[in-house]
Formats: sequence, structure tokens, C-alpha cells
Amino acid sequence: VQEIGERPLRGADTHPSGYPTVAAVDHFGQLISERTNGRLRLRNYAGGQLGEEKDTLEITVFGGLDINRVNLAPLNPIEPLTLVPSLPFLFQSTDHMRRSLDGAPGRTVLNALERHGLIGLAFYDSGERSFYNTRGPIRTPADMRGLKLRVQTSDLYVALVQALGASPIPMSYGEVFQGLVQGVVDGAENNWPSYQDSRHFEVARYYSLTRHVMAPEVLVASGRTWAKLTPADREIIRAAATESVPFMRGLWEAREQTARQATLAAGVEVVEDLDRAAFEAAMRPVWDRFITSDAQRTLVEQIRGMA
Amino acid sequence: MELILLLGLLALLLILGVPVAFALGLASLATFIFMDIAPVVAFQRIATGVNVFALMAIPFFVFAGDLMQQAGIAERLVRVADAAMGRMRGGLGVVDVGASMMFGGVSGSAVASVSALGSTLIPMMKSKGYDADYAVNVTSTSAILGILIPPSHNMIIYAAAAGVSVSVADLFLAGVVPGIVTGILLAAVAWFIAVRRGYPKGEFPGWPAFARAFAAAIPGLLTAVIIFGGVLGGVFTPTESSAVAVIYTLVIALIVYRTLGFRGFTTAAQNAVKTTAMVMLIIGSAAAFGWLLALLEAPEQLATLLQTLTDNPILILLMINIILLVLGTFMDMAPLIVITSPIFLPVAMATGMDPVQFGIMLMLNLGIGLVTPPVGSVLFVGCAVGKIKVEQAVRTIWPFYLALFAALMAITFVPALSLTLPGLLG
Amino acid sequence: MLAGLAFVSRWISRGTLAFAAFGLIVMTGIIGWSVFARYVLGDAPAWAEQAALLLMVWFVLLAAAVGVREQFHLGMTAATDAMPEGLRRLSRIVALLCVAGFGAAMGVWGGELVARTWAFDIPTLGVPRGAAYLPLPIAGWLSVLFAVEHLITEARGRKVEPLWS
Ligand code: NA
Ligand code: NA
Repeated sequence: VQEIGERPLRGADTHPSGYPTVAAVDHFGQLISERTNGRLRLRNYAGGQLGEEKDTLEITVFGGLDINRVNLAPLNPIEPLTLVPSLPFLFQSTDHMRRSLDGAPGRTVLNALERHGLIGLAFYDSGERSFYNTRGPIRTPADMRGLKLRVQTSDLYVALVQALGASPIPMSYGEVFQGLVQGVVDGAENNWPSYQDSRHFEVARYYSLTRHVMAPEVLVASGRTWAKLTPADREIIRAAATESVPFMRGLWEAREQTARQATLAAGVEVVEDLDRAAFEAAMRPVWDRFITSDAQRTLVEQIRGMA
Repeated sequence: MELILLLGLLALLLILGVPVAFALGLASLATFIFMDIAPVVAFQRIATGVNVFALMAIPFFVFAGDLMQQAGIAERLVRVADAAMGRMRGGLGVVDVGASMMFGGVSGSAVASVSALGSTLIPMMKSKGYDADYAVNVTSTSAILGILIPPSHNMIIYAAAAGVSVSVADLFLAGVVPGIVTGILLAAVAWFIAVRRGYPKGEFPGWPAFARAFAAAIPGLLTAVIIFGGVLGGVFTPTESSAVAVIYTLVIALIVYRTLGFRGFTTAAQNAVKTTAMVMLIIGSAAAFGWLLALLEAPEQLATLLQTLTDNPILILLMINIILLVLGTFMDMAPLIVITSPIFLPVAMATGMDPVQFGIMLMLNLGIGLVTPPVGSVLFVGCAVGKIKVEQAVRTIWPFYLALFAALMAITFVPALSLTLPGLLG
Repeated sequence: MLAGLAFVSRWISRGTLAFAAFGLIVMTGIIGWSVFARYVLGDAPAWAEQAALLLMVWFVLLAAAVGVREQFHLGMTAATDAMPEGLRRLSRIVALLCVAGFGAAMGVWGGELVARTWAFDIPTLGVPRGAAYLPLPIAGWLSVLFAVEHLITEARGRKVEPLWS
């Protein structure tokens, strides 16, 4: 049996090594290691080698992993407050998203994870998600009617795509490329870097900047591990997590820029002049369905007030 | 220490005759407990290892194959294949490799390929006097061709994991020639063994008889048309095509041929469930086992070992291949791609290898791992549908391994094999 | 007592077979329906993928447990085949004990997994996540039952009669 300190802390990330989230968690690990004179170390397992996000989250709760970097989406079925920053067309801009999550609303969401055995440490950027497809430019919700769009296995995304008049197809990520080639699906949605990494831009040439979701990535620790740490070590870990955020954002912006340039160079048609008001108007039923508690409503208002 | 416990316990349990799935599960469980990781994690890995959409191809294609068997559709297909290729000794073996190249080409999944083709072709070959081990070995080894022949979702995983910019389009193009070369080598081995074992050679029944056999088999042959057409036409995904194959087979068995009774139907479902359960429990346990290998950094440890041993480029490439083959023996393909690409690609590139060529080498190498025990899902599906023991297959599989290894060496040391096509068209 | 056990085990084996076959057929129907709905009706049921997966986990694990009774699991027999009869019998008993032990572990920790994930939903399906893990404890305890049946019949010098051909 190895106690913490005798073995490295174990972290998991589904993104490949070198991705901004992975680099940020590595940086976070270095800070911890420096500040404890090597007493605490972090071994970060990238590339999804320890499982999908919904699975590593459970493993983190069970104490099998100490640190986990996940998107907010897999936390949606676990903690209702995490639905709020995931809401489509809630954030007006990346700046609005960052201010909200760095401030009181973000703190509320992170703290809510504790009752599920997870210690919320920090939010990272996950960029702005937009729709891309093989058919043509999307400027209004009407342009989306009848499109078969791949979504993650998530009620929120299913509802979002339905509300916009398209047909949501939950499909595993690995099948999407071929699905786009063969026409099983007409499109999908993601941020710039994933649009590039997945090579979907090679087939789905129309990228419409709907910026519909800016749900962040989140860094969590296992509650079981946390209970074994001294208050001083907890403070070191929290501070390191907070300090890794600006580091991550710098990498993210560079990465987004690279992806944008690379896909543009590949001849992708980017649509920027969208009727944002029309998209927002279509979101009412989605918000009504997922925002059901007073705690959620308060949080939504708080975030809207920071726009 | 933990690695020794994990691997040693697995070996011991296998020797004692503990079923593979339970041996993998127990060895993993003991290691979880030894490492003070909550044992619930082991069982979560097992359940989520089974809970994979792409794996649905196993029950569906096996079910479709069993239905064809029960309804006599498979028999009609045998007659056509026999009439067409029966004059040539080992003809069905060559047909098998060709069918794998086409089906695997479309589906990109070796497991789907062996489930789909194995459940019709293996009984077909057995009924024609071919040995079961031969039928299983040809079908299983040629099933991995689909990983090389585009489209191949594993190549997309590699492109994302490589860490350097690799175009999926280039990878797809690069896989074509190596896929065909490997297919030809396998077909040659299949033919050679068939001749040596003296498998029966049929007589051409004459064109009228051939036409009759062909006409009787048309609804069955349309299964292939529907699968290919449906996937290529964007009606359904390769995984979904397996369910469509079941429905289509049911329809023709019940309405066109009227050869399927309730008894035959339940027998087919029973056989399909049994085959699926034995293979997928192993896949689930292997997921727990593989999770530990990743956690214990087995690939990294082997890479470190490699770098201390040699700096000769040829030896390095050889040893990368051997390490990958060893890892592929124990772990599944997708996790190995993401773990090993960032470790070995820089080493290979330092010897002058192109990342696209490395990708093709990795695909075939890890594909070979799918047909090697103790963790070889494709070989296990083959054995299950062929109703033989894994040892029985492995005893006579080595000429096929040899063909695959020869192809692997050619891909490793002849860059032109992979890079000519992307260079011309890319 | 052995007769009672044999009766129960036969009954469970048959019942699981029926359930598993039914599950496979429903699974086929679900995927078939989702293809039809997407291609012909232009709209796909969002729950289809998760529902089919859930069925698959259930029938795979339950049928795998029955595989302990029917002894259809793949194993290496090269080493045990080379052993003298006494040693072979001993390894057969050890192997059965291993299977029983693993089954019990699956029963206990699989059960804990169910309890700890019951409060969370499977997205698009609205069923507790624990439902995807529930076949673990069931299959675990069934494996124990079947392995024990084999151990008892082995001790009496008999064999369990397989039901699945
Ligand atoms: Na392919
Ligand atoms: Na293997």
C-alpha cells in the first residue's frame, strides 16, 4: 500500500499530450512539485488512455484517480448547477464567460461538486463551439432545418439541436469522420482546435460561428485524496490550479489561432455574419427545460448580470 | 513490482486452466487491491469495456450469420462460391481473403469483419472439407486488412494522437498498397496450405447449374450489396449495418425462403448470445487489464529499455516493432495507439521514418496483436464462430503470422510501399 | 440438495437464455428503427444508442455467467492436458474456485458500483447510470452459484449436464 507522497498523484485527460489542457495540468503538477520540494508529484495520463471522461470522473470519485481534467458536459447528469455554464447562448463572449467563471458564479459551481466526492479546482477554456456541415453556410436557424447533426450523448445538446430545427444524431466521436464522408450525418459542432484535430474540416467545409456553447473545461480532484492531504498541501494545490488558468488561456488562444489559420488555409468557408438574435430566440424551451431549480435560476441571473 | 504481479498472476491462472476472461479479471483485481485502488474501478472498467457502440457489430453479425445457417441461406452461398472457385484448390481460402479486403475496407473494423465473414464463411469452409483451424486462421488474420485499407477509424485516432501533423487523407492513401500486399501474402499462404493439406477440389458444374445455384443464392448475396450500398450510400454507419444485416436476413428467411421456423430462430439467437458473451467478457476484462498496464506505464518502461540498448536505426525500428507486438499481445488497439504514438513516433522519426509510414506500420503491427493470444479479440471471435479452441487455432496459425510479419517488415523498411501513393495523389 | 441446486441452475440457465435472446432481438429492433427513422422520417430517436448499449451489457454479462454453468468460456488447456489425472483434477478445482472467487468479488464490488452510481442518469435515456452496472452483481452471484454447483458435482464424481448446445 502506497500513501500519497510515496506515489505520484494520478491525473487523467482525454486530450492528447501537448494539447493546452494537458500542458496546463502538467504545469500545475510542476508548480505543486516545486512548492512541496518534490514531496507531491503529478503523473498526468493524457490521450484518454485511462478512459472516457464520464468513466474517469467516476474513477476519481472512487479515489482511483486523484486529478481529472474533464469538460463540464459529463458533470451535467451528476450536478444540476453544472448545466448553467453549459447553457446555449448564455455567454455573450469569451470575456463574459471568463469573468463569470473566475468570479462568484464559477465558485458556486465548483463548490457544488463537493457533495459528489469531487473537489472543483479551476475552470479552463474550452473555446466557443460552433456548427459545421457539408451542405452549406448556416446564417439563421432556418438554414439548419433538416440537417442531421452529430451531437454528444447529452440531453442538452439533443434539445439544442432540436430547438434549432435540425435532427440530432448521438454518435460516437470515432464514427463521425466516416459518417460525414458517407453522408450519414451532415455536420457536427465543436471548437476550432477540435474541428481541426478531428479532420472533420476536410469533409465538412462550412464552419458557421454560432458560438452556441462556451461550456468550460474543469479541473477536479478526488474527494478521497483530498481528505488525506494536509490543509497546507490543499492550499498549495488550489493555488497551483488557479495559477495554471492564465497559463492555459495563453496556450489556448495560440492553439485556436493555429487551428483557425490551418483550416482557413485548407479552404474552409467561415460564416461570421449570423443572425444571433434569431438563434437566441429559439433557445427559450431549452433553457426552460434544463433550468428548473431556484439555485439554477439565481446563477443564470448572476451570470447574465455580468454580461 | 505491480507489473510482475499482474503478468505473473495472469500466466499462472492461464496455466491452471482458468478461463481467459476470469484470469484477466482476477489478475487485474489482485493488482488493484495490491495498489490500494478501489476494486470497484476494476468492475467499472469491465462494464464500460463492454459498453462500446462499435462492439455491437459482434452480436449482430454473429446473429445474422447464425440465422443464415439455420435458414439454409449459408448453404446456398456455399454452392455459388463452390461453383465459382471450387475448381481451384484452396479457392475458398482465397475467396475469404478477398471478402475480408472488401468488407474490412468498408467497415474498418477487424472485429466486425471477422464476425460478419466468420459466421458465414467458416461453417461454409468446414462443410466443404476444410479444417476448422484453417478456416478460423484465414478469416481472423485477413480480418485485420480492414485496418490498413481505407477508411479506417484507427488511422484517425493515430492522426489525433501523433502529436505532429499527419493528414488523414495521406494515411488513407498510404494504407492502400500495404493493405493489398498484405492481402496477397495472406492469400498466398492460404492457397499454399490448402494445396499441402490436399483440400478437395470441386468440379465446375457447368453454366446451367451455376446459374441455378446463383439464382437461388441471390437474396443471400444481396446481404452484401445492402451492407456495402448502405454504408457507401450514407444510409447507415458500419456498426448499424450489422443490425440491418440481421433484419434483412430475418426478412428473407421468413418471407422469401420460408426456411426458418421458431426453433431455428431461437437456436440462432442462442448461438449468437453465447458467442458474444464469451468474446465480450474477455474484451471487458482486458479493458481492466489494459487500464492497469497504462497506469503502470508499461509502454514507457519498454521505450526506456529500448533506448538504453541500441542506437542503430535498423535495430531500433525492429525493436519498436517487437515491443509493439508484445504490447499488442496484451492490450487492445485504440488505447495502444494513443499511448504508444507519442512515445515511439519521435524515436522512429529520429531514424528518418516518415510519420505517415510509421502510422501504417503501427496499424499493421497492432492489428497483428488482435489475432495473438492471450488478448486477441479478433482471433477469439474467429474461434468462437468456428467452434474451436484457441490453442487449436494457434497451433497452425504460424504461417499466417509469418505472412503478416513479412508484410510488417516490408512496410517498416520500404518507405515507398506506404509513401508512393500519397506522394502521387496527396 | 444437489437435485434442488441442479433444478435452480437449469431454470436460471433457461431463463437467461430466453432473456438474452429477447434482448438481442430488441436491440436489433432499436438500431433498425433508428436507421429507418433517421433515413426515412428524417429524425432519429436520441435514446436509441444508449438503450441498445444498455441491453447489450445486460445480456453479455448474464450470458457470460451462464457460461460458467455451461463451461463455454475460452481457456488454455495445453498445460492441464499435459498433467497427470490427479493434478488435472486439482487444477480443475482451483480454476472453479478462482471463478467462484471472482464472481463473489464481482457481486460485492459490482453491487457497490451500482449503489454509488444509482443517483446519476444515463444521458438521453433517463435511466440511472447504475442500471448499466446492475448486471455485474447479478452475473457475479450467478457465477458463484454455477461454480459451486460444478464443485459439488465434481466432489460427487459427476458432471453438470449442459443445456446450451
Ligand atoms: Na477499412
Ligand atoms: Na493480442
